Amino acid sequence: MAAVSSEGTEADSDGGSEELVLTPAQLIRSLEQAWLNEKFAPELLESKPEIVECVVEQLDHMEANLKRAKRGDLKVSVHRMEIERIRYVLSSYLRCRLVKIEKFFPHVLEKEKSRAEGEPSILSPEEFAFAKEYMANTETYLKNVALKHMPPNLQKVSLLKSVPKPNLDSFVFLRVLERQENILVEPETDEQREYTIDLEEGSQHLIRYKTIAPLVASGAVQLI
Amino acid sequence: MEPAEAEFLAEKELVTIVPNFSLDRIHLIGGDLGPFNPGLPVEVPVWLAINLKQRQKCRLIPPEWMDVEKLEEIRDQERKEDTFTPMPSPYYMELTKLLLNYASDNIPKADEIRTLVKDTWDTRIAKLRLSADSFVRQQEAHAKLDNLTLMEINTTGTFLTQALNHMYKLRTNLQPGESAHSQDF
Repeated sequence: MAAVSSEGTEADSDGGSEELVLTPAQLIRSLEQAWLNEKFAPELLESKPEIVECVVEQLDHMEANLKRAKRGDLKVSVHRMEIERIRYVLSSYLRCRLVKIEKFFPHVLEKEKSRAEGEPSILSPEEFAFAKEYMANTETYLKNVALKHMPPNLQKVSLLKSVPKPNLDSFVFLRVLERQENILVEPETDEQREYTIDLEEGSQHLIRYKTIAPLVASGAVQLI
Repeated sequence: MEPAEAEFLAEKELVTIVPNFSLDRIHLIGGDLGPFNPGLPVEVPVWLAINLKQRQKCRLIPPEWMDVEKLEEIRDQERKEDTFTPMPSPYYMELTKLLLNYASDNIPKADEIRTLVKDTWDTRIAKLRLSADSFVRQQEAHAKLDNLTLMEINTTGTFLTQALNHMYKLRTNLQPGESAHSQDF
């Protein structure tokens, strides 16, 4: 099976990332994993520009091939169906991220601003542009509709304080992909004591997102 | 997650069909399928099986567990145990619904199977409600949910997690010290 690497995609998108060598099937699986994680995580997760680009490339390549095939062929309709299914996952994934950006835009931009050099960005370049524009538009809108009619001392509004933060304390369901030991579970009430658990491969759990957020990022667990 | 999305994921599971046409191997992005020869069983994902079935291009062979005797055993086991028993497929509910809706003529005793799966489902959901109740009452911080399927988790999951989040909010605001400021006049 052909290997998909990030070569051939535009080089300016993501400089420091390591080369991905995945079969197309593995590529689709990682897109689906990213999709489900994004769906269930309360915060915006790290963007996956390599996966998105490679999937788009695969889809374009397949569509180009299908244009050359003759119409009405059974094979063509099977390929079309598969393309539609992958496209659905891809757009649902991207849409889910846009919804989160719209919901948490000041915090997302703040996080991006304070990001250390070399750390992977949580936004793709397109998403970053979208978030910035969304922020600017919201500010202009608030100013035009209400703020400019206020007394001068009330004309400032801090979006960082007025837009709710993602709730990292929320509970999530997850399936363990790689065994983990000694996960610290914080107590719910003062009477309880904290304790540690081991996450066995293949087991499923209900737990606070905060506790396992790093494991979602590293791919050791899958949100469900 | 919407039930339709769980169903979407279930459609990736493989089933065996007997095609009535011939076609070379198909090189899909997600892997190769085929070759298809009339009368020779071949494994395909459910989404393709249903499509071919609708176009009357194949006969469907139900999965091994989709059998009255096996399902009766599973149902009885589920009723006997207090915990969740392992299911024959992580998508048993979705697959039953899909296959029975689109290929009931290829599945013997379809109605009985439908009832059996529904009974098992009901037992499991009742258990799930009970354990969710005790989880909330005992204010647990962690629960293990082995053997629960995606559809089951998502039927009660969204409601449960939202309820837990609300309760957490109410509880943390009750803690002394934090509320002290708002009481200051």
